[in-house]
Amino acid sequence: MSVIAVPSALVRFSRHELRLAWRDWAWMFSGWRNTSLRRALTGMGIFYAIMHLIAYAVLSPQFVAGFVLDQTALAMLSVTVLLSFTMMLSQAMESVTRAFYARDDLDLILSSPAPSRDLFLVRIVMMALTSWVMSALVISPFLNVAVVLGGERWLAGYLVLLTVSLSATGAGVLITLALFRTMGAQRTRLAAQILAAVVGAAFLIGMQVVAILSFGSISRFALFDPAFLANHAPAAGSAWWFPARAVAGQTNAVFLFFAASLVFFAAGAWLGAVQFRRIVVSALGVTEKTPRGRSSERAFRSHAPLGALVYKELKLIARDPWLVSQTLMQVLYLIPPAVMLWVSFGENTEISVIIAPVIVMAVGQLAGGLAWLTISGEDAPDLIATAPISAFTRLWAKVLSVLTLVAAIVLPLTLCLALLSLWGAAVTFTGAMIAAASAILVQLWFRAQAKRTTFRRRQVASKASTLAEAGASISCAAGTALVAAGSALALLPGVLLLILLGVSWCIRPKQSAMT
Amino acid sequence: MPPYSTPALQILNLHKCFTEPAVNELSLTVRGGEFYALLGPNGAGKTTTLRMVAGLLEADAGSVKICGIDAFSNSIAAKQVLAWVPDEPMVYDKLTPLEYLEFVAGLWSMDPDLARFKADTLLESFGLAPHSNERCGGFSKGMRQKVALAGALIHEPRLIILDEPLTGLDAGSARQVKKVLSGLVAQGVSIIMTTHILEVAERMADRIGIIARGQLVAEGTLAELRERANADGNSLEDIFLEIVGGVSAGDTHTGIANRLDENAA
Repeated sequence: MSVIAVPSALVRFSRHELRLAWRDWAWMFSGWRNTSLRRALTGMGIFYAIMHLIAYAVLSPQFVAGFVLDQTALAMLSVTVLLSFTMMLSQAMESVTRAFYARDDLDLILSSPAPSRDLFLVRIVMMALTSWVMSALVISPFLNVAVVLGGERWLAGYLVLLTVSLSATGAGVLITLALFRTMGAQRTRLAAQILAAVVGAAFLIGMQVVAILSFGSISRFALFDPAFLANHAPAAGSAWWFPARAVAGQTNAVFLFFAASLVFFAAGAWLGAVQFRRIVVSALGVTEKTPRGRSSERAFRSHAPLGALVYKELKLIARDPWLVSQTLMQVLYLIPPAVMLWVSFGENTEISVIIAPVIVMAVGQLAGGLAWLTISGEDAPDLIATAPISAFTRLWAKVLSVLTLVAAIVLPLTLCLALLSLWGAAVTFTGAMIAAASAILVQLWFRAQAKRTTFRRRQVASKASTLAEAGASISCAAGTALVAAGSALALLPGVLLLILLGVSWCIRPKQSAMT
Repeated sequence: MPPYSTPALQILNLHKCFTEPAVNELSLTVRGGEFYALLGPNGAGKTTTLRMVAGLLEADAGSVKICGIDAFSNSIAAKQVLAWVPDEPMVYDKLTPLEYLEFVAGLWSMDPDLARFKADTLLESFGLAPHSNERCGGFSKGMRQKVALAGALIHEPRLIILDEPLTGLDAGSARQVKKVLSGLVAQGVSIIMTTHILEVAERMADRIGIIARGQLVAEGTLAELRERANADGNSLEDIFLEIVGGVSAGDTHTGIANRLDENAA
């Protein structure tokens, strides 16, 4: 009999998952280059320090004046908790769906004698811990400053964050299981991804819409007006403020909140674990099946090469549920300006000053994602490169595909805006197109052949292009707002945009002449 | 269709260097209506050569003519008569085989009716007709390879470049593909193909070229290679190993040719 203790499946899976998680992080930050990892960690350290300064600037006035846990403070804390919850829930649903559908190592594990239930339990715990660590990285500067200024009771915030992360992950598992039960394996992936996108954006958008309808302001902070809270929010002693009280360190609230979340998470994780094998097997069955297209009887369309390329790009984008859900997220952020337009109809002709930058910013980001897909995410590069078409036609087709999609989203909003202000509509449309063109240029200069399935990681593949893209969108948004307001200061963001594009062009990687 | 009088492919002194020469002053000719098999050990420069011919890689020096058209100075005209099939089939997961063929036909500006007819014929020939409306995402590697092959053939190329086209195909599919390729050669289409399956080269190729360290070290019909390697009655595998197995770091085209001549003497 062996005297060496054999680690249980749970321990082995935990080690395996921790190793994978660490390597994933290292890859994300460094692309496996040690120097880059060191540089990335230094950059993160500096960013973390700056976040503490920002947190101090935001929180010190509250604490210097003597922090009072009134309705406004409770509302602020509750909104933070709810916002974290929706973000984590969205992420959890995305991760759980991936755990069920991604093939990766599941063939190996399911065919081994190790209990797959343990694997899911480990993966679900890792999901909760990852979302806790990620959110703690963003929120911890504020908690640390609160501890320094207001005492150690604010340390409870870390426990509350873990609590929120456990609840969100548990809810993510339960929602995905419910989708499986009601919709089946075939439809759950698409439904879960769209739902995750909607959940992630819904809370912020909801706040903005309420602010617009109540105050005519697109700012979410309008909701924290004390008079509004006095009339519409629960009284300070209400149980609704329980999570907010927990963040502020009220011991009974912290422990009750934590215990309830832990039980909820354990129930969700257990339910998911016992059904894991069955769900994965049915999900893998779905990936083997191929959806049937339209009847094969139809005639081929008559396309010139350019038309064939554009048609193919649009078809591929429309058929990718994950991409559709990600695009939907950016489109959802256009809802508040649309509501603002509707509310202001016929009354406020200067509305474009408020709406234009929101539209331009969203369009810039959307165009960046689509441009990556069409320019870098080509699954048959050899076919395209050996076709008898010029390099210009190849690239122009991809640019045209992005512009067509962007225009389809921007045009309806611009037309509505035109009914209020022709000048505002023209400025918004021009700004949106410049933002889209800038994002496309950045993607052209930084193009690197990749599979479309790696879309999730496009932003870590080239940090320079991500920063350039974001900077260009912000510059365009600021410039558009200033032009709409008739300010000569619009020149400044314009110059900044040109500098950004110039720097991007100078540092672009060398492209092969053949691509 | 009679074989074309112009050579389908003329490679002259082609050179490509990465950290060391991958293709070294390589010259070869594929005649019209000929099936040419390019053999060589891993890293010999076969794929690099073919990628330069297909316009997927820039050559450092040399020239390539496809059906008499200079592939470097007039690449679009050259690509019009060329088809390239890589070893890893590149098809779109979200398109059906029929949609893929429609897309390829559009890239080559084909008449839609003719393209539709050719698509149906090819899908039937490759046994893909029952799957013509299913998305390629769930296809096996062999099925994807057949879709890619159908895409290469739909625009009626005069020269087909195949890089390990039979990898991943089952016996039945491999036979289907070989039958289609033999039929094309009979119609006057030229094929240059790399393969590690020497039996395929032995049975299908009109001429065989053996490449090592970026140089063409032997070329001819199977009988000519046997004669040169003094290996009468031996299989192509024996000949291949005899030629390639003897290549050392200092060997040159001339040195190997001399050795072959010595063996023959």
